[in-house]
Amino acid sequence: MGAPLVDFKDLAVSYGPVVALAGVSGSFLPGPTGLLGPNGAGKTTLLKTLLGFLKPDRGSLTAFGLDPAREPLEVRRRIGYMPEVDCHLPGMTAARFVAFAAELSGLPPDEATSRAHEVLYYVGLDEARYRTVDTYSTGMKQRVKLAQALVHDPDLLLLDEPTNGLDPEGREEMLALIRDVATRREMSLILCSHLLRDVESVCERVIVLKQGEIAASGRIDELTGPRRSIYDVRVKGDAAAFLTDLKDHGCEWQEGEDGYRVFMSDGAGPDVVFRIAKECGVQVRHLRPGVESLEDVFLRALGHTGPGSERTATAVGAAVVMGPER
Amino acid sequence: MPIYEQAYRKYEAREALRTVRFWPITREALRLILAKRSFLALLVIGWVPFLGFAIYVWALTQFGQVAEGMASALPRGGAVFAQFFKWQMRLNLLLTTFGGAGLVANDLRTGAILVYLSRPLTRRDYVIGKLSVLLAINLFVTLVPGLLLYGIAIALAPAQFLTWDLAWLGPAVALHAVVLSLALSLPALAVSSLSRSGRVAGLAFFGLLMGLDLVALIVGLIGRWPAAILLSIQACVSALGDALLGAPRDTALAWAYPALVLIAIALGSLAVLRARVRAVEIVR
Repeated sequence: MGAPLVDFKDLAVSYGPVVALAGVSGSFLPGPTGLLGPNGAGKTTLLKTLLGFLKPDRGSLTAFGLDPAREPLEVRRRIGYMPEVDCHLPGMTAARFVAFAAELSGLPPDEATSRAHEVLYYVGLDEARYRTVDTYSTGMKQRVKLAQALVHDPDLLLLDEPTNGLDPEGREEMLALIRDVATRREMSLILCSHLLRDVESVCERVIVLKQGEIAASGRIDELTGPRRSIYDVRVKGDAAAFLTDLKDHGCEWQEGEDGYRVFMSDGAGPDVVFRIAKECGVQVRHLRPGVESLEDVFLRALGHTGPGSERTATAVGAAVVMGPER
Repeated sequence: MPIYEQAYRKYEAREALRTVRFWPITREALRLILAKRSFLALLVIGWVPFLGFAIYVWALTQFGQVAEGMASALPRGGAVFAQFFKWQMRLNLLLTTFGGAGLVANDLRTGAILVYLSRPLTRRDYVIGKLSVLLAINLFVTLVPGLLLYGIAIALAPAQFLTWDLAWLGPAVALHAVVLSLALSLPALAVSSLSRSGRVAGLAFFGLLMGLDLVALIVGLIGRWPAAILLSIQACVSALGDALLGAPRDTALAWAYPALVLIAIALGSLAVLRARVRAVEIVR
């Protein structure tokens, strides 16, 4: 593990009265790192500060030992940025567009053209590279965005929601491509996403942002630790008493549209659920075991579990939450 | 084997950052604009006033060989060129509208602005790159034909134009071409940055210039107020052109006033571009 590529200390950025980053400190080490958080957490603000688009109100941020606010050009030439929003030049073929992006990064025209073809081949667009980007599907546009970010061989790749708008197959292909960039090509990258599974499948480390502050950071395996077992439960009877007793036994629960997801205390099994239900005079109508997902772990880190809590819309959960018996 | 595993080459030959970084922006934008046949046709039409004036100068000097004194009918000094630029400006307005409307607006609409600004480029590089597109188009139909017309005038009527006291005329033609091009290009780019639609920006720019022209005309007619020309960009350019080229003036207003108005418009346009060309859109 080398020295941090990006280091930020007490970094505060605001848009007028709206505080986007409230004095955060941390670093991005070489390798793939995830930047997680719900919408409005400050992820994109952090990336844009790193690119020198925004100046911090307070604190410092350095990339490759340089201050992006003072030397933005030197920093940007070493960074490849794949924005979240659609970006292409109307009427331009993919080959021309990527070569143009390379030239803007300072490559000579001949080299830019040569690399554009190579990178388009690499991202799987060799057949379609002479078509205008306007005619591309969403998945192809995402690949062109990745190609233009890669074409100048950056030291650090910033990927802002790279799987946005992709169907499951396209998403898997994009993630495989990003994994390849990170592992086989040994390129450092920051994957900014609200999809925990995307981050988990690519990154070793993660920084979780919540409302402009760092909620958690470190290696994913260390952060998640041993995962707890969970059960999706549907009951009939006095659910309030049942839930209170569950809490007294060290379990956590989460209410969805239709039921409860119960996070068991360490070592506890389904017998605990049945015993508490019996004590409360509640009938268990459905119990389905599951494994605590990374989403559940991070939602807990973000404070989204507990009595009566509900998942945020941005943290897309895979859990099937069953409803109370009516 | 998945296709993405085919090839990826590290690039080690990084050079120092170039000092002239805007050129790829200008070149690509010009290439895209010139790929449109309708625009090429308009560009060709942009040379029609030159042809007309070249024939006019030729005819007067040729008839002069037959009937003595006809060549002297050619207005002395810069009046011919001032007249040429007044005709030319109408076509420049069309060229600027069609060529410049989408220059920034399309980048804002498609998000391409981020492709530019996430590279080792400053916002100034971006604006210079886009402005150079419009300047190139405008100078192609003002500076080039203006100097050619000057060359033709010197060649065909050297007695009238190749004199020491008219040595300033060539530089004045060039300067006026630059003033005219800048006076149209900067506001066009500023208006383009105010919209995400090239069509809306084009209509707004054309409507703005024609509207101001109309207002200046009406105010001038009703109020008989010479300063009314200051309301119109085109009238200001013409007034400044008359002064630069030593042509008979249409107005009694000192040339400094239209010059100041044009400078103010240029600064205002740059301020708009500074506010609008950014990678971060701040919604208040």
